[in-house]
Amino acid sequence: MGRARLRTGTGSTLLFLVIVGVLVALLPTRWLWPLLPIVISFGELSGRGGLRTLASPRFWGPLILLVALSPFLLGTPDISWGPLPISWAGLEAGVTMALRAAVLTLALRVSIGALTIAQLTRLFERVGGRGLGFALGVSLNLLPVFQDVIGAAYHTVRLRGGFRRPLRGGRLFLLTVVVNGLRYGDDVVKAAQARAFDPSGPSVRH
Amino acid sequence: MDWKHFAVRDWVYVAVFGALWGALEITLGAYLHVLFPPMADTFLIGVIMAGIGAIIALTGRYFVPHTGSLLAIGIITAVLKVVSLGGMKTGPIVAILAESLLMELTFLGRPSEAGGRYVLAGVLAVSWNFFHKFVMSYVIFGSGITKVYVKMIHDGARLLGMNEQHAVLIIVILFLVRVVVGGVSGWCGWKLGQAAARRLSWA
Repeated sequence: MGRARLRTGTGSTLLFLVIVGVLVALLPTRWLWPLLPIVISFGELSGRGGLRTLASPRFWGPLILLVALSPFLLGTPDISWGPLPISWAGLEAGVTMALRAAVLTLALRVSIGALTIAQLTRLFERVGGRGLGFALGVSLNLLPVFQDVIGAAYHTVRLRGGFRRPLRGGRLFLLTVVVNGLRYGDDVVKAAQARAFDPSGPSVRH
Repeated sequence: MDWKHFAVRDWVYVAVFGALWGALEITLGAYLHVLFPPMADTFLIGVIMAGIGAIIALTGRYFVPHTGSLLAIGIITAVLKVVSLGGMKTGPIVAILAESLLMELTFLGRPSEAGGRYVLAGVLAVSWNFFHKFVMSYVIFGSGITKVYVKMIHDGARLLGMNEQHAVLIIVILFLVRVVVGGVSGWCGWKLGQAAARRLSWA
């Protein structure tokens, strides 16, 4: 028997995120508990794989830490555990914070986090014309190049003793990074113009 | 937002500065998070990253002097942060979008490219970091956090041997630090744009 699937477009997914964000900001804590299974259900039914985060220690680690530490750090102590004062109000505040953080993180994961680059680019094309989608594609391709450029510029300035005078070294580092970035950008401009790309032209159907 | 008058070069430069800001957020941001404890996130790492982000974005504004360029750079940076390996964190994404929106607002109305406008944009962008803590606290922690904040100020003042009047002074100083960092960032963005243009023989 096939599993039920919710057909969600990019727009409806983002609408879901906005609604959850507004509800998290406005609802009192007791109403947030039903929101958590709703977000999880949306993630499961949309089938975009955003719920993989539930298996990640990076998701659970901060939440567990928040709940574990809050009785010792927040609220007025009610009882003592050896030398440590413990507060029930602090524990309650910690659970509340963890719940809000979990709902928001999951909502982001099952919405924007689960969109592909192509879907994001199409969304941008709809919102800001072809240009914004084009810029996103260019920046995604330039990102690894710039990470190398930043690393190379930093090590060059450091090895030449540039950071002995931090302000001058920092300025030199940023200037090198920006100028190299613009030179890469000029190559991309030439390539786009050679293909007669027009950002104000009609969108390409994917 | 009217982006229709942007040429190919403008969009490529928006992508370049968005990618630069994104790359710095991903590399330097991750490095700083390892160096400093989580409690210093907003007050230390946030100020450093907001300052650097303002410098990069405002340098980008120097090369793309059109309405909407700063917001577009911020959107690109936020998306890069979303799809980065570091994972999706609500705080930095909200901060990047808010900072770019505030910088954009500074340049609305008058097309003047004076350095003062860059300084004001930097001040607004980095000052957001101060309010970011309260906004995100409200969203994540709920309205009940107010009592916790009052108690934290009370305990902090007692710990430092000050009364609560001094705690207010501490908050004012924290805000002024952001104003100064923002102003310097804006001025650096303006000067960096000029220096890069000279280096590329544009000026």
